Amino acid sequence: MRTVLRVVRKWWPGLIPLALLWGLAAWFNTVPFETDLASRTALSLRETILDKTRVEAAGRDLTLSADAFSEEGRRSSIAIAEAVPGVRLVHDRTRIIDEAKPFVWTAERNVSRLTLSGNVSLPAVRTRLTEATRGISGGVEVADQMAFARGVPQRFEAAALLLLEQLGRLRDGKVAISDTSVRLSGIARDLGGREAIAAALKNLPEGFTVAENAVSAPPYVFQVNKDPVAVTLTLNGYVPDNAAHAALLEAAKRKFLNEKIVDNLKASVGAPSGFANAATAALGALSRLSTGSLMISDREVKLSGDAFYEVAAEDIRGGLGGELPQGWRVNTEVSVRPPASAVDATVCQQLFSELLALGKIRFLSGQANIDNDSRGLMDRLVEIALRCPTSSLEIGGHTDTDGDEEGNMRLSERRAQAVLDYMMRAGLPADRLQAVGYGQTQPVASNDTAEGKAQNRRIEFTVR
Amino acid sequence: MLVLAEFHWGWLLAAGILGLLMGWVGVVQRGGGLSKRGLQSVAVILALASVSAFARIVPGKFGYWLDLGLVMFALYFLGCAVGAWLRDLLVADHRSVPKS
Repeated sequence: MRTVLRVVRKWWPGLIPLALLWGLAAWFNTVPFETDLASRTALSLRETILDKTRVEAAGRDLTLSADAFSEEGRRSSIAIAEAVPGVRLVHDRTRIIDEAKPFVWTAERNVSRLTLSGNVSLPAVRTRLTEATRGISGGVEVADQMAFARGVPQRFEAAALLLLEQLGRLRDGKVAISDTSVRLSGIARDLGGREAIAAALKNLPEGFTVAENAVSAPPYVFQVNKDPVAVTLTLNGYVPDNAAHAALLEAAKRKFLNEKIVDNLKASVGAPSGFANAATAALGALSRLSTGSLMISDREVKLSGDAFYEVAAEDIRGGLGGELPQGWRVNTEVSVRPPASAVDATVCQQLFSELLALGKIRFLSGQANIDNDSRGLMDRLVEIALRCPTSSLEIGGHTDTDGDEEGNMRLSERRAQAVLDYMMRAGLPADRLQAVGYGQTQPVASNDTAEGKAQNRRIEFTVR
Repeated sequence: MLVLAEFHWGWLLAAGILGLLMGWVGVVQRGGGLSKRGLQSVAVILALASVSAFARIVPGKFGYWLDLGLVMFALYFLGCAVGAWLRDLLVADHRSVPKS
């Protein structure tokens, strides 16, 4: 023993370089060792259900901070961290998430965002709810403001997913769960959406009840836009059924001259009463505008655009309300477009001919009353007449050979006079206008065919 | 501990080799070496350090450095013992060869 001690005593000089080695090892290895330990611990904790997990290493000691969802989960996460090779001590900074009473969850939709807020039970549930929300978002931003909490009611996830499905049927609105009570509010995206939501709510999981369903139906919208540059008439929105759809398209074709009709209308229930009459009357008013748009929302008609001249604008502003069914409201924002430059008699004649090549002035059968469908054409004819203030106009009425010759002469005179009266009311001086009835004496086509007769029934303008 | 050895194997090897060399040359070193009192002090310090390490009472980085130091010392000491033993073995073999 004494010999051993004698030898051991001589080993002390090596302690100096050993201390140096120790210092260097500590200097170079501490931070990498701590980083390695923290990352291995985080990897081990990946399978555990924790929120806001943070692992910090100081030497071989760890500080574990996290929100656990149960006492058992909290304990198991500590045990996992302690079992990581190389770990000496684990400082427990974990906590169990708070209990929410009541457990409230909401999902809200507006034009630009879908927001999830309130309480959610577990990360996996949160992920599934967020994914379901993205599925109905239609590309808008999804904001997740949910916070974890205990106290979730049974079958919460199924109820929340069903409500998210209903939120997809809303244009904007909110769905909410408070413990086992369900509330919905907002406006359905489509007609019939409100009814679909009410039906779907019958499939709520057992235990959940609808405390409030304040989902309203969307307004019944019919929209028409007249674009003079593209020469199009675009119809959007709803019509009550296929018959009304066809009738409205037919009315549009009669009232508008050469505009290409873009039909995006869809048949849907829920139209307000008198819709077809109101839409037809409003289309007539729109046909008198050079450019404009028509919007029918439930029982409110909004017409905006530019009339061809002042009298027409006043007529449209005052007349449309009277043509609408009872209980309908009208809002017109009609101005007058700037007058076009004056032209000489030759150009004026050419303008009349070109316009009348697009459409004819229509009269009620066997009568001299101008058909309402021709008011758009009449306004455009007046506008041309206003552009040649120094010329005189002969308004010539012509008929086909149906009926007796004398009767046709009188009818053609009365029809020419009706056109003259329209132009006088529009502000043209009477001394520039002359109405002449030619009866059946100047046919432009054969009277043997229906087509030829239609061509012969006409009003012509001669500029002098 | 295995992780500690695996992570610091280079430094621990260096401590062991240092011990081996010290053990080899220590046998023939002149002078008496560490005094009895000095040896006792070292023993007490080592005992205290070991108890602290096993009781885990030194916190954080200092605890880690203490563990590292003790492991390095243990390997140094083992290296010294092996070095001295090898030296003793070789010298003993040399002495046992009969003179001609």
